[in-house]
Amino acid sequence: MSLVLSGMEALGFSQASATELPPDLSGGAKNTKVVILGAGLAGMTAAYELSKAGYQVQVLEARSFAGGRCQTARKGFKHTDLIGNTQTCEFDEGHYINHGPWRIPYHHRSTLHYTKLFGVPLESFVNDNDASYVYFEKGAGALAGKPIRKGEIAADIRGYTAELVAKAASQGQLDAPLSGLDREKFIAYVVNEGRLTKDLAYKGTEGRGFSIHPGAGVDPGPGKELPPFAFKDVLDSNAWRVLSSVTGYEQQRTMLQPIGGMDQIAKGFEKQVGSMIRYSTVVEKIKQSPSGVTVSFKGADGKKGEVTADYCICTIPLSVLKQIDVDASAPFKAAMEGVAYAPVNKIGLQMKTRFWEEKHHIYGGHVYTDLPGINSITLPSYGWQGQKGVLLGYYMFGGEAARISAKNPADRAAYAVAAGQKIFPEYAENYENAFSFCWHLAEHNLGGWAEWGEAGRKEAYPVLCQPDGRLYLAGEHLSYLGGWQAGAIESAWQQIARIHARVQQA
Amino acid sequence: MTFAYRLAALTLAAGLAAPAIALADGKSLFNDNCSACHQVTGKGVKGAFPALAGSPLVQGDPQLVTTTVLNGRAGMPAFKDDLSDADLSAILTYVRSSWGNKGAAIKPADVAKARVAAKAGAKARGLQAH
Repeated sequence: MSLVLSGMEALGFSQASATELPPDLSGGAKNTKVVILGAGLAGMTAAYELSKAGYQVQVLEARSFAGGRCQTARKGFKHTDLIGNTQTCEFDEGHYINHGPWRIPYHHRSTLHYTKLFGVPLESFVNDNDASYVYFEKGAGALAGKPIRKGEIAADIRGYTAELVAKAASQGQLDAPLSGLDREKFIAYVVNEGRLTKDLAYKGTEGRGFSIHPGAGVDPGPGKELPPFAFKDVLDSNAWRVLSSVTGYEQQRTMLQPIGGMDQIAKGFEKQVGSMIRYSTVVEKIKQSPSGVTVSFKGADGKKGEVTADYCICTIPLSVLKQIDVDASAPFKAAMEGVAYAPVNKIGLQMKTRFWEEKHHIYGGHVYTDLPGINSITLPSYGWQGQKGVLLGYYMFGGEAARISAKNPADRAAYAVAAGQKIFPEYAENYENAFSFCWHLAEHNLGGWAEWGEAGRKEAYPVLCQPDGRLYLAGEHLSYLGGWQAGAIESAWQQIARIHARVQQA
Repeated sequence: MTFAYRLAALTLAAGLAAPAIALADGKSLFNDNCSACHQVTGKGVKGAFPALAGSPLVQGDPQLVTTTVLNGRAGMPAFKDDLSDADLSAILTYVRSSWGNKGAAIKPADVAKARVAAKAGAKARGLQAH
């Protein structure tokens, strides 16, 4: 695989997903045919790059549309889950929910490579907002069960902590690791970090907010700062659990989203490779011979058919693939059992006003909560100051997601609205309609993403990353960027580079 | 992020609620936590979620079936972070003795033992996923 390293990377200053650009597939395709199973981002990436390099490509897609999990629900979007719940999205024109992938960390350069290449316009996705609330019911003390702005909690817990540390350091109680000039610098840092007074005390700070905001003249004039919460109340609230020095690698504060919905990325790919896709075509069997791969399928009309190619790139999630008749070695098939798939729920709730902006001054970001089955509520990063908005009413995964998904769509919405009402008094009265999606109940997915345990990652994963005969697997499940579009894209890049190298050698 | 707040909160909740629920109602716990996929009939969804009714794995080795629920398997999620030993024992006992199944009861202590053996519960979840 050829990587183009920029100067900064060559010096080791890279801070991004491993691969920046697709592999170089020069040297000729030698009339090679490749059948690709699945028109998600992995499949369409492979189709785009291979066809550009001269390969003959056919893509089989089970759904009637391309994108895989890269979907957006907007007016008219229809979904029937495996237990027979049918929903048709009733959001107003211009409103949507990304019930699959919904944000792009700035360092996912592979995803950003294609958004730029295909001209998919992006906008900021607010992934962190100090003005947003933390709502923890299961803490104790005066702040439990109250929506508290994240910035207030952050200022107070860091301020009080800084006060303790600064005072201890100034009294020589931290002498072991510090001495002389180091100690002075350290205290200066801690004072700065905690916004302490000259006498090393935390008395609150203007950054956490005002009860009367500063303004013109003498009234309101300087305004009135909100006083800090008591240290014990902050500790007891558990709300500090949403804070840490930097975000997790995948949870960067700077994220992006396609304007109009994540499926704009799918549509960008589809414009390039749509003619190669056979839609509503469900794979039933994958058979290999020493010279090729034959895939049997059932088409939209119920008629069965076959495609034969030199190689097969299969992007079908392992949760689904393991139930298909696949001609692969015993270790390869055993490895497919080595992964679990995450139950994942999302629900979009259309609200008739943007009360979170108008009444609470929260523009995007997440409300973190310990309410069962909710986990977080996310305010939309599109349509600022518009009349209406669709917010994400819950984003839950794991066992709790399985629990809520047993409800019918109306009950899921009622559950989500009742939870949100505890945080925003305007929630229920503004609620208009909902669209919920449970990835573990979605045919052709059976889960949100692959969850590799330690043993699975060590034993099963490496087996599946290698081809089995002429069968190559690709998708988020074959990356360490699991559940992200970048994982799907980079996995496809890796596999097409392998196929191309093999074709060149043949 | 690597915070364990959900785990801590759930442990707290389970500590308060589990003893009463566990003895009372494996059925409602099953319906609550498992029926979205395996269905209240235990028959699953063909081609997607396996039937528990009549399943040899479900009625067989207690440690194997317990570990499967704790850690997940193939399409099935891990429940180790979401359910207490008492809840899991009630659910497993219900599943092993319903819809014609004839497996012996599984005690909370058996679940605890399987949890230790599987080193389950060691890894907590982040604030959000993707």
